[in-house]
Amino acid sequence: MKFSRSWLVAAAWVLGSAAIAAPPAPGLKLAPLAYTERTLPNGLQVLAAENHASPTVSVHVWYHVGSKDDPAGRSGFAHLFEHMMFKSTRYLKAEQFDRLTEDVGGSNNAFTSDDVTAYHEVVPSNHLERLLWAEAERMAHLEVDEANFKSERSVVEEEFRQSVLAPPYGRFFHALPQAAFVAHPYKRPTIGNIEDLEAATLDDVIAFHRTHYRPDNATLVVTGDFEPKQLQAWVDKYFAPVTRPEAPVPRVGVQEPAWETDREAAATGPQVPLPAVAIVWQAPAVTSADVPALRVAAALLGVGESSRLNQALVYRQQIAGQAGFDADLRTGPGLLIAYAIAAGGKPLKALTTALQVEVMRLAEQPAPAAELAKVKTQLLTQALVERQTPEGQASALANAAVLYADAAQVNRQLDELQRVSAADVQRVMRHYVAQAHRVTVTYTQDTAKQPGGTP
Amino acid sequence: MKHKPLKALLAGLSLGAAAAAALAQPYDTPPPPAAPREPRIAAPAEGRLLNGLGVVVAERHDVPLVTARLVVLSGAEVDPPQRAGLASVTAGLLTRGTRRRSAPALVAAAEALGGSLDSGAGWNASQVGITVTTPKLPAALALVSEVVMRPAFAPAEIERYRTQALDEMKVAYAEPGTLAGLTAQRSVFGDGSYGHPVSGTPASLPRLTRADIAKLHAGIYRPDNAVLVLAGDVDLPTALQLAQRHFGGWRAPHTPIPKAPPPAARPWPEGVVVIDMPGAGQAGVAMALPTIASDAPDRIAGMVTNAVLGTGYSSRLNQEIRIKRGLSYGARSHLDTRRGVGVLRVGVQTKNPSAAEVVGLVSGELDRLMHTPVPAEELAARKANLIGGFSRSLETTSGLADEVVALQIAGLPASDLVQRIPELEEVSISDVQAFAMKNFDAARRRAVVAGVASEFEAGLKPLAPKVVVVPQGKLDLEARGLPGLE
Repeated sequence: MKFSRSWLVAAAWVLGSAAIAAPPAPGLKLAPLAYTERTLPNGLQVLAAENHASPTVSVHVWYHVGSKDDPAGRSGFAHLFEHMMFKSTRYLKAEQFDRLTEDVGGSNNAFTSDDVTAYHEVVPSNHLERLLWAEAERMAHLEVDEANFKSERSVVEEEFRQSVLAPPYGRFFHALPQAAFVAHPYKRPTIGNIEDLEAATLDDVIAFHRTHYRPDNATLVVTGDFEPKQLQAWVDKYFAPVTRPEAPVPRVGVQEPAWETDREAAATGPQVPLPAVAIVWQAPAVTSADVPALRVAAALLGVGESSRLNQALVYRQQIAGQAGFDADLRTGPGLLIAYAIAAGGKPLKALTTALQVEVMRLAEQPAPAAELAKVKTQLLTQALVERQTPEGQASALANAAVLYADAAQVNRQLDELQRVSAADVQRVMRHYVAQAHRVTVTYTQDTAKQPGGTP
Repeated sequence: MKHKPLKALLAGLSLGAAAAAALAQPYDTPPPPAAPREPRIAAPAEGRLLNGLGVVVAERHDVPLVTARLVVLSGAEVDPPQRAGLASVTAGLLTRGTRRRSAPALVAAAEALGGSLDSGAGWNASQVGITVTTPKLPAALALVSEVVMRPAFAPAEIERYRTQALDEMKVAYAEPGTLAGLTAQRSVFGDGSYGHPVSGTPASLPRLTRADIAKLHAGIYRPDNAVLVLAGDVDLPTALQLAQRHFGGWRAPHTPIPKAPPPAARPWPEGVVVIDMPGAGQAGVAMALPTIASDAPDRIAGMVTNAVLGTGYSSRLNQEIRIKRGLSYGARSHLDTRRGVGVLRVGVQTKNPSAAEVVGLVSGELDRLMHTPVPAEELAARKANLIGGFSRSLETTSGLADEVVALQIAGLPASDLVQRIPELEEVSISDVQAFAMKNFDAARRRAVVAGVASEFEAGLKPLAPKVVVVPQGKLDLEARGLPGLE
């Protein structure tokens, strides 16, 4: 799950986030995203893609650090830290980023996931240089004070309450990685918990910035209305002076073992009008050659009203109000999550069985050609919709460069999805689902805290 | 400037002569912006079929995508008494089967085109929409016309829809922010035409019959009460040709288009309403007040005033509640203008013990806008924020369609799209204060807090003449008033 600086544009508890692209539909040629790539002597990776359709430009800086890198006893710290990056630096006042973006007609936000922390802005293109100055400034010279730290930590605690405690199913999705992963730090929730957030100190902020926020651990992406030579001159001017520390960037070395048994976990909440269940399997790293087939499988099961889980559980059997499937992938081990929220009065056992049956059917029988063509067209349309704006293009490019460690993947992913066959889908579903162990997580009303007669 | 580091100077030098001018610029302040480039916004093109169907096209050709929306210019405002949710259910059922195709066949056909067929009702309109790649547009419009003109309203689908909607309501009613917002809307409009929830209530949905649905459909879904909006990679001649092919056979009945009663706010008496939700992880704080209609002359001043109050990260509500005090993840307001009368809504979620403080802060910001002129610099920033947001929304086909559709629903000219930026720029400090004075009076405000009542009830007492606590399960959003609040 991703957590953003500001909820104004953040999606609610939607599972999964990685951009998906697809092959061209008949009669339609999808132009590749033309970009340039270079690495500064200090290690900063710089990607740029010109597009003059609108007088706007998007700037993304993705740091290769996420909640998997949270210090011990400080779950949620990478995300808490993300909020601090909008506070003061050597030459920037707290919230001055908003002056440089919102106040001139732009916008900014940031998000933290298991693997990355990304800062992104859109501004009228005449403001590009100022933004590059500001991003370089907070990369090199963050100077947060105690008052700002404490006040923003309270905001993050409210974010925890708003995303986990207040929504009826917040605790359910929060529980999944904790129940599923055995050893990997992905086990810890990105948003953390109140106790660990309270334990964090200003010294932790300083140490985290020094350790992870450095040019050789970052990717800068600029898309939209700019002049390439001018852009690169500004990049040199503002980012080249940022020094690279001598010490190597620490990396998580923990491996997640193959799961050896089927497991079960139960979560509860104080306001759960309808129970829910998730079945979780271990997925390979996002760079695995099996990922395109898994993405197609996930779309067959969970994208749109015509998807298999919706048709079977919600429409035909009427045992669920909502059902979905998510390939929740990471640079390390990921999760394949089938989930459903029960229809009124329907037992969880029936829901669990039906989920299992539908998912297995994809391993046992080849998907018909028309259905396969449908999901490929859906995925293509989705990619086109996402890439309409400089913001969407930057996001797609950064995603490829950072999560796949290969910017060229942004243009390859379309072909890779097009080549997926029904047999490929069956093969990956057998390997990662049918022949693997699963974790079943149920979610029900906490009987000690019954709400006073739900309508 | 005195702190300019040597390494920065060296980096500047390495750029050579071209950068010499830039080198003079100090590093301790952001470099100045360059000359701006204005966004190009073209007026949408308009046409009409002989049967009365309006056709509006907003072109954007850089990506081969088109968003299509068929907009019927009547919505939940025409829900009859005791039938809250009728327009919403009718629109929702359009995509659940036609006389030719079952519900599963219909969604499969739509999704094979790459998009999804979405339908729903708002207060003043009902819509069916889809976004597809350009080559799929004719097939997509064929489906839109089929669901709008020939829906089946099969009894089994009605029951299925009803059961699902009631389940969704159970979930929504367990969310403190949603519950506070729905109740605040009722507290402003009472039993007026905007008083009920658009999607109905747990009590009203079971009352809806197939006859109600078919009658509403026959009454409002007609070409002389509808507009087809296409945004993206298409032009007007193509659009008119496609519209004629797929909607040319649609006939308007001879009966007049049903009109909603003139909307009016019939607010509950003053006081704070508390909805007690045991175990709620946060309190949902909502404040609402009646305001201008969507075609009001001061609508642009209203947008700017609302932007100062609660749009974007740096609005006053977010400054006071989030940035200064850490009381919430975000505080915002929304100006929801409608035919006849609108509503301004504030929504904030906070930990239960802070709820009363947040109610006080929201009221304080409404007061401040009434009594103190907005500083020029702040006004300029909030206007820039609105203008930027508007320009960015036009970068996508669905955002462009949203803006065009909103003007159609408001009965405003499509060419207003081109006027928006200059009109926003013209709003003055006194326009903002005048809007606040006219709309934000304390007697017009209604506040609702949903959460663990025992943690904030006492704190609310000094803020309002009356505080009424309703248990979560006893809330009736169709009741004329509220017991204890007379």
